[in-house]
Amino acid sequence: MSLFWIVIRQLAEIEEMAVSKKVITREEWEKKLNDVKIRKEDMNKLVMNFLVTEGYVDAAEKFRLESGTEPDIDLATITDRMAVKKAVQCGNVEDAIEKVNDLNPEILDTNPQLFFHLQQQRLIELIRNGKVEEALEFAQEELAPRGEENQSFLEELERTVALLAFEDVSNCPVGELLDVSQRLKTASEVNAAILTSQSHEKDPKLPSLLKMLIWAQNQLDEKAAYPRINDLSTAMLEDPPI
Amino acid sequence: MNSVTNDINTTTTTNSKSGQDLGLYFLERSRLGSAQGPCDMDEDEEAPTELNTINSSGGFLVVSPDKLSVKYTNVNLHGHDVGVVQANKQAPVKRLVYYFEIFVKDAGTKGQIAIGFTSESFKMRRQPGWEANSCGYHGDDGLLYRGQGKGEPFGPTYTSGDIVGGGINYATQEFFFTKNGAVVGKVNKDMKGPLFPTIAVHSQNEEVLVNFGQKPFAFDLKDFEAQERMKQQMTIEKISLPTNVSHGIVRSYLLHYGYEDTLNSFDMASKSTVPPIYIAQENGSCEQEDIMYALSQRKTLRQLIRNGEIDAALSKLGDWYPQIVQDDKSATCFLLHCQKFIELVRAGALEEAVKYGRMQLAKFFELPEFEDLVKDCVALLAYQQPQESLVGYLLEESQREVVADMVNAMILSTNPNLKDSNSCLHSYLERLLRQLTACCLERRSLNDDQGEAFHLKRVLNSGKKAKC
Repeated sequence: MSLFWIVIRQLAEIEEMAVSKKVITREEWEKKLNDVKIRKEDMNKLVMNFLVTEGYVDAAEKFRLESGTEPDIDLATITDRMAVKKAVQCGNVEDAIEKVNDLNPEILDTNPQLFFHLQQQRLIELIRNGKVEEALEFAQEELAPRGEENQSFLEELERTVALLAFEDVSNCPVGELLDVSQRLKTASEVNAAILTSQSHEKDPKLPSLLKMLIWAQNQLDEKAAYPRINDLSTAMLEDPPI
Repeated sequence: MNSVTNDINTTTTTNSKSGQDLGLYFLERSRLGSAQGPCDMDEDEEAPTELNTINSSGGFLVVSPDKLSVKYTNVNLHGHDVGVVQANKQAPVKRLVYYFEIFVKDAGTKGQIAIGFTSESFKMRRQPGWEANSCGYHGDDGLLYRGQGKGEPFGPTYTSGDIVGGGINYATQEFFFTKNGAVVGKVNKDMKGPLFPTIAVHSQNEEVLVNFGQKPFAFDLKDFEAQERMKQQMTIEKISLPTNVSHGIVRSYLLHYGYEDTLNSFDMASKSTVPPIYIAQENGSCEQEDIMYALSQRKTLRQLIRNGEIDAALSKLGDWYPQIVQDDKSATCFLLHCQKFIELVRAGALEEAVKYGRMQLAKFFELPEFEDLVKDCVALLAYQQPQESLVGYLLEESQREVVADMVNAMILSTNPNLKDSNSCLHSYLERLLRQLTACCLERRSLNDDQGEAFHLKRVLNSGKKAKC
């Protein structure tokens, strides 16, 4: 078969697919939606899971009272976890390390990368506060030995120490280390490690479900035209393009 | 001009009618607990349980009385005297994976055993894979045959003592085969329509036992399924979401159902996170503001109903929203009266319950849409321990929740700024979950019903399995 005919055939197939795409009207689709029964109890669990995982401890407690939904984790542990997270976010890394060890010393023992990132964050905070001498001492005594164990740690350490080489750090190539986002990154790493140590999933389920919705709609687009929800934040059903 | 007037007329009628519809919606929900529960729509599909002795090449093979093993008793002479037997049912399709196994008890003189899948009209004297619309993994050469005369290199050979499995992965549209618990290979499933698990024997004394799941498999099917789901999940997780969208959906859920205390804590905490999250300001859509409507009244009523204080709830409702409880024969009043009756039964005040029932519930007996629930309520009186009876669902916390949700929706529907009466019924979260479920179901039905549906319950339980 010549290339020409292959192309013609493929074009025909594409056209056929486009034609055979099923069109579902709003009315038909709404009927299908009404056949779906979502249990209130399950939605409550989903919301509780979000509050707990994201660390909204007061809201989780209130929600337990208002909706009768039991959290899937001891709420007291959230307070501790959030204290650690907050300490990192505010730059009190030493405090955070102590709190993690109070919670469960195994978390840092079994997670050298996390421990390194916390120490690195500590170094960044020293540099931010202009404590040059202290920073150098800390880098040499605490961080350098760890770098010897692991090449990527060493590179990270060198990158961090480079901060000291610039007078105006706001404009230097490694300046992003001083950004709030670096603290947030470290904080969420600790947060995830604590959740994992409590045999809890580190991410809430709701975002995954929202992603699944986007995916499911994309998949269905290949076979049918139907009312979509394009804006998750308004959950508005939009008519299919015809 | 005319059409405009018409439009206005229709709107007013739907509005007054929609109040009743809202109540009926919750009436239906209140009955959900009585049945088995709405979520398991896949379970009704029949799966193979034994071999089909009618549609088999009788004369060449003997199927045992339990219909779970087969033996070739002839001496084979040519390619048209294969002993083939299908399962009694087609492989179920409304799931992620279908799978069955055989145990080769005796490979006979030549070990010409095959396992595979065939269509209903398959010619029952040929090896699966030798004819069109069939696929088979053969023991004597380890080749895979699928409709062409020639086999293709696939896996190892198998013989006496081996356990061999055949499966269909509906997510990837592939057949796969296993030997002694390990996958040996997979191949595109290019056949459509119902497929039957099929086994074949073709030399003297070959004997094969089949396992349709009545005994544990050598292959870890659960783990295989978990890995398949994980693969799909990995693709899905790569999709990015707008910032804070989950946060906004949770917030609107709290607003919708009137969980005011939770909402206040949530807003307080959101402001103090780093960086702070300002949802309301960012997309202060009108609808968001609409569900602020009557928030503290809705909260109060929910609390009363959840505590079983139905009288107090009714009287508050009468003060604040007389239009909701005006019609004593409405679904709303009916559900509230039922709940009051249920609370009396719960408290053990049976005489009072009887009196209340005669006064408030008896009038609903002749109305078809209310009849079932009235009967269930009254039936509570028949049992010494009603919570363990068939109507015990009425005494569960979820029943109070339905009534509280109904009152909440009725109050939302009195909002003069309301544009869509549907929005009283469903939170954003529920709308999104319904859309997700409907998309998955629709996609499956356009794919010859193949694959598993979406179950919120499974997602909710998924983390817990990892613990054990």
